[in-house]
Amino acid sequence: MIFRQLHDAGVLGINRRNGSYTLKWNKRRFYPLVDDKLQTKRLCREAGLPVPKLLAVAHHHFQLAHLLDQVADRDDFVLKPVHGAMGNGIVVVVGRDGDALVRASGKRMNASEFRYHAAGIISGLYALGGQPDQAMVEERLIVHPLFRDIATNGVPDVRVVVFRGVPVMAMTRLPTADSGGRANLHQGAIGAGIDLVTGRTTYAVRHNRPCSRNPDSNRDVLGVEIPHFETILEIAVRATDRTNLGYVGADLVLDEQRGPVILELNARPGLAIQIANRAGLMPRLDAIERTWQAGRSVEERVALGRDVARSNPPLA
Amino acid sequence: MSRASAITGLVLALIGAAIFATKAFVLGVPLAPSDVKDLWQVSLRVTVRGEGRRGSISILMPRTGDGQTILDEATSSGALDHTSRTTDDGRVGVWTGRFEGLHEIRHRFRVKTVDVTIPLPGRTTARPPEDVERAWARGTVMYPTTAPQIVAALDELSLPGNGDVVGRVRTIFAFVQHEVALVRTAADDAVLALEQREGSREGKERLLVTMLRAAGVPARNARGLVLNEKSAPAERVWTQAWIDGAWVPMSTVDGFFGHRPASLILFGTGEQRVIDATDLRAVAYRYESLREHLQPGEVASVMTPDSGLLRLFSLYRLPLATQAALRHLLLLPIGALVIALFRNVIGLQTFGTFMPILISFALRGMPLAAGLVLVGFVLGVGVLARLALERLRLLLVPRLALLLCLVVLSVTTVAVIGQSTEQNELFKGVLFPMIILTMLVERFTIAIAEEGWKPALTKAGYSVLAIMAVYPLFNSIVIEHLMFSFPELTLVIMGCLVWIGGYMGYRLTDITRFRAILSPQPPEQPS
Repeated sequence: MIFRQLHDAGVLGINRRNGSYTLKWNKRRFYPLVDDKLQTKRLCREAGLPVPKLLAVAHHHFQLAHLLDQVADRDDFVLKPVHGAMGNGIVVVVGRDGDALVRASGKRMNASEFRYHAAGIISGLYALGGQPDQAMVEERLIVHPLFRDIATNGVPDVRVVVFRGVPVMAMTRLPTADSGGRANLHQGAIGAGIDLVTGRTTYAVRHNRPCSRNPDSNRDVLGVEIPHFETILEIAVRATDRTNLGYVGADLVLDEQRGPVILELNARPGLAIQIANRAGLMPRLDAIERTWQAGRSVEERVALGRDVARSNPPLA
Repeated sequence: MSRASAITGLVLALIGAAIFATKAFVLGVPLAPSDVKDLWQVSLRVTVRGEGRRGSISILMPRTGDGQTILDEATSSGALDHTSRTTDDGRVGVWTGRFEGLHEIRHRFRVKTVDVTIPLPGRTTARPPEDVERAWARGTVMYPTTAPQIVAALDELSLPGNGDVVGRVRTIFAFVQHEVALVRTAADDAVLALEQREGSREGKERLLVTMLRAAGVPARNARGLVLNEKSAPAERVWTQAWIDGAWVPMSTVDGFFGHRPASLILFGTGEQRVIDATDLRAVAYRYESLREHLQPGEVASVMTPDSGLLRLFSLYRLPLATQAALRHLLLLPIGALVIALFRNVIGLQTFGTFMPILISFALRGMPLAAGLVLVGFVLGVGVLARLALERLRLLLVPRLALLLCLVVLSVTTVAVIGQSTEQNELFKGVLFPMIILTMLVERFTIAIAEEGWKPALTKAGYSVLAIMAVYPLFNSIVIEHLMFSFPELTLVIMGCLVWIGGYMGYRLTDITRFRAILSPQPPEQPS
């Protein structure tokens, strides 16, 4: 039976993820640390971890009038909901055209459209639970040259799942034209699994089907070595250490100038990373739980994660 | 599933099942509703305010007779004296005493009704007996047979000869039915109704009696209740004419002649009002009714069971309105169970966790297809309006409030259309949960904007599927009876929910989701 095959492949289903991992290891009271991007940013800054620079925040509607003034000296920036999820509600501004703002898609947006969008954010339109939210503007990260041809129309990120302080699995999400520039797998971005040991992409899926090339640029997305991969794993582990959460997805972006930067943390990381890696999470999670000890250093834990990944490789 | 949740679920389910089994197999509570037609439970509550003087209140009470059987009658009235007398006109309960402040009188009974059909004779010359003629063919203040307007109207009708009583009655009946309009607020008086060519129910039926008597046919008004499942029982007045030895029921308003529908119960005849009070300051009363799904004998066993404990917990002893509410309420856990199965075992996502339940609940008693069309229509209007509102850039809460107004308006429109095309099913949609529909519109539009039409419609499709899965459960008399007679089944449902909550296995949809992992060779994507 197919359930049996999934089980033998070590695939983690959504019921077990909720019951045995997120509900068990992520205490509800720590959720705000990752659901609120301002808190995550503060947390990471305090730990000396790199985050995108915060330019402006609007907590209330009346502050919207001045939101654009606060970034008058910049040509590019990103507007985001503080409690957003899955990249919803994000506006990436890449330049100016007279009074209008130029979005990443090339479309123009005037100041009043910008304010309306920010008002929607504050009203909670894009917030996780629909509650009133805040709008934040932060610096736009510039895609590392390595990704320029394998990710099109948007900023790719690297997702690392960290369980009890040990990295378990990683993938990179590469936007495409039909994902609308978003690094969102269910919208058509490419998910490419990364070997924790070598830091190279091993396997990739798009729309839940295997793929090897970016359909826009026709460039091979497999076998690509992710720069600074060890640093990425270490930053992900350090960031999750600060959250008191046991099962977290850390999203990082590789900036051209600054290297790996923490974008956000997720207390309910998705399961598609297993498809992108062609590997189940369960054997790795079990192995980590069996050998877990308190007081290991970050380097030791990254090494442990790599060992576990080596002994639980992707399916043939 | 962890041991703890397996055991918790088992314990809950066992407790529920044990109580259920004891009640069903030891105490003999019926497992399924019986096939009974037109058995009703009716209760009357009269609230009276007095000012310390003696007073009395009389209530017309139904008797067992043609077409109705009265069972399990009971009254309660505190410290008042209660007598009852029975006349040809009916049975009247009289409560007397010193009325100080508020008093409450309750009368409750069960009634089994059937359609009564009186065969009409052909030509008849039989004159009514003298006592019937004396009692029922004379003019009175209420039935002024000698009023010039009445006489003139009869002259114009050119009635058939005395030998054809049925023909005479039919002619007068047709005149009142077609020539005098029914206007709720019009006159109750026979002559006024005739003059103005419009009357209330009371006015039309009085006019009919007056004209029949004036034409020499003994006639009287009958009073009682009309019962229906959807609303509280209403008082009704109709007419009986003495034809060849039988009182023939007829109503120009409800349109029956020669038979009395099973939905009517007869309280009494003549000029006696249903409730009459003397020397009292204020009287308010209200009838409630509930259709029974058990045989009278079975009802007795759940109403006053042999077991004292069971008697204490029997929901059948609650006031009728509470019973009706609980019958609905106790269905909700079943809906919740279906939703839990849908989401956690099958893995289909719906709009709003419990929204499908609430929609199914609102569609109860309505044909499913009509209900879904109604939801679809309101949703369609809402989504179009929502997309149009997008241009105005309104803030969230006022925008939602606007959508609520639109939803209310579209439901109103549907109700009006339903009324004018006599689609009563549509009209019931008025009780629709507006807030839920509004949130549905908003969620649906956001889903369209964020995920695109296809995923939004897929999710809407799954929601409809969930609605369709829950709907038959909510409309089943058997399930309603089971949950109401055995509320402990809710414990069994809770046990199942604990199990579902502890189910760590794959959902059915995980199969399609993770199939890519299992496919042996990753096929190259065409580029």
